[in-house]
Amino acid sequence: MATDRTTPGGPFLPADGDPVPPALRGFARAHAALVELRDDPPHLVARDRAPARRVGLVSGGGSGHEPLHAGFLGRGMLDAVAPGKVFASPHNRQILAASRAAAGPDGVLHIVKNYTGDRINFGIAAERLRLEGVASRRVLVDDDLATDSADTATGRRGTAATVVVEKLLGGAADAGLGLDELADLGARVAAASRSLAVASRAQTSPHTGRPAFELEPGALEYGVGIHGERAATSVPRPPTADLVARMLDAVAAALPDGPDDVLVVVNGLGGTTPLELYGIYDLVADDLDRRGLAVADALVGTFVPALDMAGFSLTLTRLRPEWRPWWDAPAVTPAFPRANGAA
Amino acid sequence: MELDQDAVLRRYATAVDAAHGELTRLDRHSGDGDFGDNLRAGLRAAVARHDRAGGPAFAVLGEVFLDEVGGTSGPLFGLLFTEIARADGFAAGAAAGLAAIRRVGEAEIGDRTLVDALAPAVDALHGPHPFAAAARAAADGAARTAGLRARRGRASYLGDRALGAADPGAAGIALLFWAVASVAEPDAAVPPPL
Repeated sequence: MATDRTTPGGPFLPADGDPVPPALRGFARAHAALVELRDDPPHLVARDRAPARRVGLVSGGGSGHEPLHAGFLGRGMLDAVAPGKVFASPHNRQILAASRAAAGPDGVLHIVKNYTGDRINFGIAAERLRLEGVASRRVLVDDDLATDSADTATGRRGTAATVVVEKLLGGAADAGLGLDELADLGARVAAASRSLAVASRAQTSPHTGRPAFELEPGALEYGVGIHGERAATSVPRPPTADLVARMLDAVAAALPDGPDDVLVVVNGLGGTTPLELYGIYDLVADDLDRRGLAVADALVGTFVPALDMAGFSLTLTRLRPEWRPWWDAPAVTPAFPRANGAA
Repeated sequence: MELDQDAVLRRYATAVDAAHGELTRLDRHSGDGDFGDNLRAGLRAAVARHDRAGGPAFAVLGEVFLDEVGGTSGPLFGLLFTEIARADGFAAGAAAGLAAIRRVGEAEIGDRTLVDALAPAVDALHGPHPFAAAARAAADGAARTAGLRARRGRASYLGDRALGAADPGAAGIALLFWAVASVAEPDAAVPPPL
C-alpha cells in the first residue's frame, strides 16, 4: 500500500506495507491490561474471563472496522479474535489459533459476519478443530437489509448487529450457558436484528489516498455495506429527519415479530462525528416513540466503520425480556460503552 | 492394495505443472486467475517439504494446503488431503473430505464448484478398477461444470459469463484423481483430464 502523504486529507497509514500489524501492536500496547497480541499467526486474546464461562467466544474478520472485533475482547464479551488484512477475511490458521487459545471445556463458538470468505475460513478452522477433538458451533450475523434478496444464495451481509450479538452472547456465556444453547441464542439474536446504512462520502482508499468512489453533488448512497462498496442505489439526499424516518420504516418493517422493546445501534461509518451521531439518535428516539417501540438501550458511536466512510447505520434488535440480564451484565473491554439505560 | 502416496504426490505435481496454463485460463474465465498459481505453488511446496522431512505424502499435502496456500480453494483441497491422510483407506478418506468440503463450502452438486468433480468420483470408487472409474467420473464431472451457472464462490457474481469453461477447482480435483489412477492402476490407461 502506497499513500502519497501530499494528498490533502490523506490517511496516516504506513507509506508502504500492510497497515494492520502496527495497528495491532499499538492496540495491544494501549490495552495491555485487557488483551494480548500473539504472533504466527496473528491473533488477540483476552487476559481475563469469567470462571463460569464454559465456551470460548471467538470472532474475527477483515480490518478497517475497528473497534470491531478486538475492541470487544475482555471479560463479558469475546475471548479471542482473528484480524484479517483490510477488508479481507482472516486466514483459517489465525482463526484456528484464536480458537485453540479461547476454547473452554464446552468448546468454541464462532461469531461470523456473513461474507463468503469469512464463512469459508471459519468453516475450515471448525473442521480442523473437529479433527483436534474441540467442539465448535457458528453464529452467522446477517442483519444488512440492503442485501436482503431472494435471488442469491449468499444472503444478507453481516454489519453492526454483530456488536449486539457479541454482547448478548458474552453475558450468556458468563452465565454458564453451553455451546448449543449459545449457538441457538446467537441465531435468535441475529434473526431479531436488522440494519441499514447510508453514506455521503466514500472511504479513503489506503492504496491511493483518494475516495474509493465519487458521489454526485447532493447524492446519498442508500444501502451501503462496510467494505466501502457502492450501494445498489443512489438517492437525492433528503433532510436528515426524513432520511432517518425512511430508514426506520424499512428496518422496522423487516424486523420479525417480537417484543416492542428494541436495542438501538446508531453506528458511525468512520467519518461521521459524535456530534452528528447523537443528533441522529435524537431523531431516531423520537421516531421510535411514534412507532410505539420502546428503546431498551442505545449504543451511539463508531463501532463498525468502513475505514473513514462518511455515513451511518441504524440497527434495531427486538430484545426478549430473558435476554435483558445478558445485555446489562458488565463488559470490561477496550471499546464497549457502559450500557446506559436510555430514556 | 496400498496406494503409493509418494508416487501420487509426484505424479499430481507433475500433472499440475503441465496443466498450469490451462488452469490459469479457466480461472481467468470465472475467477481471479490465481488458481493455477496457488495449486502449483502448493504442490511444489509439498514436494519440497516431503523431500526434506518425509512423512506420509497426503499428510504433508494437507498441512501445506491448509496453512500456506492462498485463495479459498487451496485450504479446501487441504481438508480433502488431511481426511485422506487420516482415514483407513483412500475411499473412506475421499468421502470424509467431500463431507468436510460440503460443510464448509455449503455447496450442492450443480453449484459449479469442485464438489461437482469430487462427489461423482467418491461415488465411483468401487468395482474392479475403482481408481480408474473415479478418475473418469471426476473428469466427466469437471467437464460438466462448463455448462453450469455458479451459485457459490466468486464465479457467482458473473452469472452466465462463466459458462463455457470448466470450473478450475473441479479441474484440479480431476487431475488429482487422474494422478491416483495412473499410479494405482496404470494398466487402465485413463487419459489426463486437461
